[in-house]
Amino acid sequence: MLSKEAEQFMLELRMYLMSKGKNEQEIEEVILELEDHLLQAEAEGRNIKDITGDSPREYMKSISREMSFDKREFLTLAPMTVLLISAFLVFTPAMRGDFSLSKISVWGITIVTILSIFLYGFLIVRVLPKFFNSKWFYVIGLATFLVVTGFFVIVELLDNDPFFVATPLQNKLLVIGCIVIFVAWAIYAKTWMTIIVPFFLSWGPMAERLIPDHINEDPFYIALTIMIFTLIAIIGGVLFFLYRKNKKNKTMNQ
Amino acid sequence: MSTTTQMLKGLLEGCLLALIAKGETYGYEMTEKLKEYHFTMVSEGSIYPVLMRLQKNNYVTSVMRKSPNGPKRKYYSITEEGLEELERFKEQWEKLSAGIFSLLEEGDEEDAI
Repeated sequence: MLSKEAEQFMLELRMYLMSKGKNEQEIEEVILELEDHLLQAEAEGRNIKDITGDSPREYMKSISREMSFDKREFLTLAPMTVLLISAFLVFTPAMRGDFSLSKISVWGITIVTILSIFLYGFLIVRVLPKFFNSKWFYVIGLATFLVVTGFFVIVELLDNDPFFVATPLQNKLLVIGCIVIFVAWAIYAKTWMTIIVPFFLSWGPMAERLIPDHINEDPFYIALTIMIFTLIAIIGGVLFFLYRKNKKNKTMNQ
Repeated sequence: MSTTTQMLKGLLEGCLLALIAKGETYGYEMTEKLKEYHFTMVSEGSIYPVLMRLQKNNYVTSVMRKSPNGPKRKYYSITEEGLEELERFKEQWEKLSAGIFSLLEEGDEEDAI
């Protein structure tokens, strides 16, 4: 078994290399190789500093410099991710039949989405690995989640001057477009997640037609629903990540 | 970076090639052997970026195989190009070390007089 320090280092290394857009297969290989080395070194009483030298950060950089930037993976993944995020944002209002665009919503949501991607990215790569074994991990994670959701809610609330309101037909077309994106993602990433999560998301608009108006218009319930569904989406994302990692390990061990 | 660190970095590449040329081996075993030969490394892990570079230059190839005690292990073996590179390294090292050696020796003699 690896020590806590070693596991922590391996996690930081993995996140660091992933954030630099390195090839997944190459990351997996170097991680396996270092794990094997650490296992043996620790069994003989040496520790992580004997392996990485005094600066783990410098060591990570020296590994990263020898790895190629996976342009192809990045070029497919980036636009696919943008499409997926847009699909998630469009899906619920379109399902509800009231998709609209206003200056505030277009700019607000774009900016907030980009900011939250950077914030989460920074957190996942730089901050969270350091707290992996402590309760701060959850505190920081939850705090960020609340802040980001808060921004989205504020943008939602300010949004009242649409320059485009979708007709019922356009709404249906948008829903179909979203479903196409979800299915394409599911096939590309070989996962059910992008189908299951929208399926759950569609409960909201469905319920809206069944639940009485006085509950429906209470901002508290609206905020609550948004948070619950976002949580589900995040948990879905994490499960998806773990599932893929697990699958990768299995195929490599064969 | 200290002088020793910089000197070692350049030499490690040649030493790893020489080790792999002796027969298929893996990372941890290489660090053990380097210690046996009293080769001081900056840190054990410093061999891995060098191994990655060797592989990128096609001097070595690697296969993943199950190790006797469980996890998968990456075994390296040398290629034709690697053997050529090793010859070049040996030549250069001999020239270089002979040069440095005689220079330092001469200095000692002058000091002695």
